[in-house]
Amino acid sequence: MTAARRLLLCLMLLPAMGLPAEKPVVLVVTADASDYLLSAGGTIAGMIDQGAVVYLVRVTNDEKDSYDLSPEETARRTRAESEAAAHILGIKEVISLGYRAAELADVSFTDIRDRLIFYIRLYKPRVLFIPNPYTHYDRVLDRYYTGWAAEDAWRSAAFENFQPAFAEAGLKPHQTPELYYYAQPFDPARREAESTPTFVPELKIVDIAATLPRKTKALEALRTVNYSMARRLKDRLTSTGRRLPLLDTLDDRAVSALVEKNVEGLAAIAAQGTNYRAAEEFHYAGLHFRIPSKYLQ
Amino acid sequence: MRSSHLAAGLVLCAGLAGAADLLPLGRIPPGKTVLVIQPHHDDHTTDYGMGGLIARFVDEGYDAYYVRASNDEKDGNHLPAENDIINLRESIAATRILGMKKVISLNWRNDYMNPIPLDELRAQLILLIRKYRPDVVLGHDPWEHYQKNPDHRNVSRALAEAYWLAGYANVNPEQLKLGLKPWAASYYFGKARLDWGLGHRSNIAMELNESQVRRKEQAYQTHRNVYAHPDSARAMKAALAREHLYIPAWEGLDDQQAAVEMEEWYMNWISRVRGREAGVKYAEDYYFMDEFDYLPGLKDYLKHNVEKQ
Repeated sequence: MTAARRLLLCLMLLPAMGLPAEKPVVLVVTADASDYLLSAGGTIAGMIDQGAVVYLVRVTNDEKDSYDLSPEETARRTRAESEAAAHILGIKEVISLGYRAAELADVSFTDIRDRLIFYIRLYKPRVLFIPNPYTHYDRVLDRYYTGWAAEDAWRSAAFENFQPAFAEAGLKPHQTPELYYYAQPFDPARREAESTPTFVPELKIVDIAATLPRKTKALEALRTVNYSMARRLKDRLTSTGRRLPLLDTLDDRAVSALVEKNVEGLAAIAAQGTNYRAAEEFHYAGLHFRIPSKYLQ
Repeated sequence: MRSSHLAAGLVLCAGLAGAADLLPLGRIPPGKTVLVIQPHHDDHTTDYGMGGLIARFVDEGYDAYYVRASNDEKDGNHLPAENDIINLRESIAATRILGMKKVISLNWRNDYMNPIPLDELRAQLILLIRKYRPDVVLGHDPWEHYQKNPDHRNVSRALAEAYWLAGYANVNPEQLKLGLKPWAASYYFGKARLDWGLGHRSNIAMELNESQVRRKEQAYQTHRNVYAHPDSARAMKAALAREHLYIPAWEGLDDQQAAVEMEEWYMNWISRVRGREAGVKYAEDYYFMDEFDYLPGLKDYLKHNVEKQ
């Protein structure tokens, strides 16, 4: 085993070795205001309840996702609503990177990655949440681009040759021991075994019954994107001669009720195959990930 | 249980197990316009699709348009400019056989699409979606694995966003100055080569009739710049002759006619293969994204609560 690998192993095992633990830090990376809440909000709220300090990095500015607002006004409102939602969940700080929403395809991958490396080294998280770039059929490709950059940031933040200038400012390499890949359940094959079990994150299903109300309330704070979703849904139904009675009067109450149905539906899908009433599902790379079993013993 | 009943039961179980493995048959979604967006002149009809389904859309009342993103300059044995012209001409002829109304060429340089600005390509697709207002889009599956051709990767990725982002006024708002309105397509049929990894696994089969398969055969072999060349029949005949074999069906056919017959058989065969997977004679299979698949948490609720007005 090389010295570098020994160091990596020690860093990864530190939490398990019972060393003095400060409040565990959790860093959440999200492409847009709603995705991390829909996919992982309950689990993050549970970690906060257990004492974790959580920071959120929001990569885009969400400027496209409104119904009748300009991009500038959409971005302004969604930023404020995003911070309100995070506050309800108990997140300590929201960092908005400000990339224009739905335009990540042509943004430098390493630019996003290196900014994420910065925050990983700054906050030294024990746990990192990132969008799962391997998810199929999520048509919001910002999540895919963000996931790729975040996964690489997780890996490369531990190596001093990535962004060496950061070290001059006191930011040391940091290996985050636990990684949660999150995604909404678009991919029908998401629970299938991978072709090889070696170094593949495991399926992890988390009971979120206790935090479901807070997750719902946080999502309800995203008024601009929620109204956009409800309005577009109603337009689609109306244009095809259909109606959803819940949206007959499209007001705050109706939009909140729709959000609640959405959260409940997602929680029920994730709970399938378990005894949980409400859940979230992840691909999880924890302490055992990348460590051969003989060393763990 | 008597042995005859047991045997009958086993047969029934085997039948049920077989039925459970069949790909479900899809229906043509409600609507009137389908936009087929692919990188190349011939992607509307190949071994992985889509000519039969396009013909079926037209038969069921749809207007169909073909968007060719590249200029196809590499595809064929001529110099690039000549390939471009021939391939476009053949694409127009082939899509006319399928009943399509128009071929729109975006003329991105063929096989140089990897480094192109994806948002620029997407903006072009968004403009076309706003102009033609398709209910359905057909294209490649951007989640396909082992797709070696960057033209396919990038066009499918641009399409995966364009078909719904076109409905957002804040995306390419300058286009609205032309009088175009935001418009999102509601249904997506994605294709891929089914023998390339696990990235794409079809979730529906679209049944085809004899006439639709026949038009697919003809559309395919219309691309004479790249398919149905007499040399292919000549080579086949020579290979068979070395084994003292010949193809009776080719008696009386010249090399060109034999090459056409071979290519038409290929389209017929692949349609039968896909048909068998769904328990019908002819089919093409797709990954289909329904109108509310983008809201997985609400799908079940909508299914039970949406009413007719």
